Amino acid sequence: MTLHAAFPEAALEPEPLLTVSGVSRFYGERIGCADVSFDLWPGEVLGIVGESGSGKSTLLRCLAGIDKPDEGEVLFRAGPEPLDIYSVSEQERRRLMRTAWGIVHQNPRDGLRMDVTAGGNVGERLMDRGDRHYGKIRERALDWLQRVEIAGARIDDRPRQFSGGMQQRLQIARVLVSEPRLVFMDEPTGGLDVSVQARLLDLLRVLVRDLGLAAIIVTHDLAVARLLTDRLMVMKDGHVVEQGLTDQVLDDPHHAYTQLLTSAVLSV
Amino acid sequence: MTTMIQVENVAKAFTLHNQGGARLPVFDDVNFSVEAGEALVLAGASGAGKSSLLRILYGNYRPTSGAIRITHAGRPVDIVQAVPRTVLDVRRRTLGFVSQFLRVIPRVSALDIVRDPLLARGASPDEASARARAMLARLNLPERLWTLAPATFSGGEQQRVNIARSFVDPSPIMLIDEPTASLDAANRDVVVELIAEARAAGSAIVGIFHDEAVRERVATRYLDITSFRKAA
Repeated sequence: MTLHAAFPEAALEPEPLLTVSGVSRFYGERIGCADVSFDLWPGEVLGIVGESGSGKSTLLRCLAGIDKPDEGEVLFRAGPEPLDIYSVSEQERRRLMRTAWGIVHQNPRDGLRMDVTAGGNVGERLMDRGDRHYGKIRERALDWLQRVEIAGARIDDRPRQFSGGMQQRLQIARVLVSEPRLVFMDEPTGGLDVSVQARLLDLLRVLVRDLGLAAIIVTHDLAVARLLTDRLMVMKDGHVVEQGLTDQVLDDPHHAYTQLLTSAVLSV
Repeated sequence: MTTMIQVENVAKAFTLHNQGGARLPVFDDVNFSVEAGEALVLAGASGAGKSSLLRILYGNYRPTSGAIRITHAGRPVDIVQAVPRTVLDVRRRTLGFVSQFLRVIPRVSALDIVRDPLLARGASPDEASARARAMLARLNLPERLWTLAPATFSGGEQQRVNIARSFVDPSPIMLIDEPTASLDAANRDVVVELIAEARAAGSAIVGIFHDEAVRERVATRYLDITSFRKAA
């Protein structure tokens, strides 16, 4: 028990990285997501679960700066002052998206440049950030390819020569190489074989922990949520119906819809 | 004596919304406390709510009402009201849960599973490895298994990995649910020793043990939770 003393009491970060207040997005009469509020702290992994059409991807797009909400605000603390990501210029928002946070798309084709080599895909993010030394960029790209378990010999191949699982790992390397503080992931394991999923999940779990990343992960897979997330938000018809610690929500669900979701899972 | 757990007026009922809103009361008005260095064994018939109570202490189940004050870094934290990141911090540093079952993660070796809590608490990789090895050896897990992922291990082997993970660096509070269910006599003895050592080092223990011999060797005090059953 000698180790406990190693942690000072102020180990918890004093301020949230992301503060979301009253975010709503409507499509005409239809609700995309309604009145969503939460704080995300550095190093926290939040899962958003719900069935197709529940509004979880809409919410993610609002949070990630892709789709402006009709109401509410998203504050991001990149520096000492929180920044309302939709009140800054388009240019400033794009710069943030390239440097301070990253987005892992469900379909790697949406996140990769298919006509650029693997090394180029990873190195491009470093150049966006201002790195100019070619040798160092290539060295870091190589390091990251290996961290996501892509052989260094494939550095000059193009993503279209890769399998789906490899493309997804390449996308993750491209996002993480610039050391973002916050990563958004939309069904990161969707569309992959189960065995490929397991490898990717383990990789994500280790990277998130080692890098101390904050992440928001949209998934409809409760096993993925349990493995990767600290906290869970359950969405139905655009509303958050329940939220809390992941194991609380999954083991002692209170809302009727969450009880339905957790009881519908077949265990193998 | 330092009070590590203070349970105040805790009640729990489950409402099953998809089964006609059936309401299952578990217990009402639970009050007790646990001091550092004692081992409180929960007693009561199967279905009395022993495991539910243990899960409530861990912040896994949410009580219907009441407070659970956990002494964390010298200060009381109500685990019922605490925000998720505080609960996680309390679990990382103060509150350990030892279940019968290992949650197997694909591709993670037994050794890494046992090292993990040490690393999370800031130990160096070398120290973490050395202590994890010593603990796996003590629980008689064959060395050839250490670098393998436990998915293919037997129930007893998985259970020993789980126990090794929990006792490699005992938490100030240890919540223990049936740790010896599928162990042979020799390993059961090791578990009893590990619990006694954790207690001697100051941990507060709350446990459920169906094996009567184990229960009697571990307990410093009993709490029969049948008395908290709702008089309905």
